[in-house]
Order: sequence, then C-alpha cells, then structure tokens
Amino acid sequence: MPDLEWWVTTYLTVLMIPYLLAFLLYMVRIVKGPTLSDRVLAVDALGYDLAAFMTILTIILRSPLLIVCGVVLILWIFSLDIYVAKYLEARELGD
Amino acid sequence: MTTLVDWFLVIVGQVLITVGVFCDLVASIAMLRFPNFYTRLHAATVGSIGGAFLPIVGVALVAAGADFLGSYRWFLFGASLVIAFIELLLAGAGSHALARATHRARAAPTKPLIIDQLEEDRSKGEV
Repeated sequence: MPDLEWWVTTYLTVLMIPYLLAFLLYMVRIVKGPTLSDRVLAVDALGYDLAAFMTILTIILRSPLLIVCGVVLILWIFSLDIYVAKYLEARELGD
Repeated sequence: MTTLVDWFLVIVGQVLITVGVFCDLVASIAMLRFPNFYTRLHAATVGSIGGAFLPIVGVALVAAGADFLGSYRWFLFGASLVIAFIELLLAGAGSHALARATHRARAAPTKPLIIDQLEEDRSKGEV
C-alpha cells in the first residue's frame, strides 16, 4: 500500500490541470460573450468552480482557513446574479 | 495509523472529484460551443452542480479519510458539507433569476428557437 498522504496530494495536484484548462475556456466566453447575460453566466460558472478549486487547494496546501473564502465567494457570485437580474428587469440597481 | 476505512473514504472522495472535474471540462467546452444564452444555461448548471457540488462533497470525504490533516480533518469535513449545501441552494436560484430577467428584458437573442409560448402569452397579457 502506498503512503496515504503522498497518494492524496499527488492525485489532487494532477487534477488541477483539467481544472485550470476549464477556467481558461470559461474566460474565453467571458471575454467573447455577445451579451451581458452570457458574460454574467460565465462568471457565475467560473466562480462556483473557483470555490470548488479552493476547497481542493485546502487539502493540497494543508491550510484549513482557506475554506472559509469558498463560502464568501459563493455568496458574492449569487449576489452578482441577483444584482444583474434586477438591473436587466428594472434598468436600475436600487439601494 | 491509516486504516482501511480511511482508504475507502479517500478513494470514494477521489472518484467524486474526478467525475466533477470531467463535468467541469465538458461544461466549459459546451459554454463555448452552444449557440445562444438559453442553451448556455444548461452548460452553466452542469458546471455549477456537477462541476462544483460533486467535487466539494468529494473533498469532504477525502478530508474525513485524511489522517495527516490532524485535528483539522473534521473541521474541513463539516465546512465542505456546508459549502456544498449553500452551493446546491444558490446555483440553481441564481441561474433561474438571470434567465427570467434576460427573457423578460429580451436581452439575448433566441435565434434557433422555433416557438416561444411564454413570449406569446406575455404579449397577450396573460402572464
């Protein structure tokens, strides 16, 4: 049996590569997106995936406080959705 | 001391993370290839539930099995489950709010669409 610590760290580090590739592809849509909704949708997906990425980094870097940032990131992304939806419907941001 | 239960939790968690990464890659390719905003909603939801909810649950299982994390292992387990639950609630709600606002404001083209009964009902004043 291999060492558990070595196995977890190596496996998760290798899995970072497709994650970074996915981030690049999302970023192409953010830059390209023809309308505002497309851009916000891509930022949305990118943000949720960054939160997942951050929880994986917590295990790799062994820094447990990093996971708290994931909660905040998810809440910010949700508030971005709601603000843009309100802007699109009412053409103003309100208070 | 690493037990067999630890190995089982770690392997199940890594399978979940792998499925999640696959969903994420597929969603990002679909986000580029789909023709308009309403079809890209599908890609975004695959990316946020399959690509973020599943890996976070997987990280919770890996953290539960990783004894090298010391006393932080159960903290990571609980925090990951909380993040996964918040994400499960908010991802669908946010996408739905954005889709509704976009459709009402006619902010995105619906080019390959053949029939739009919601738009017809709204122009008749029924909705």
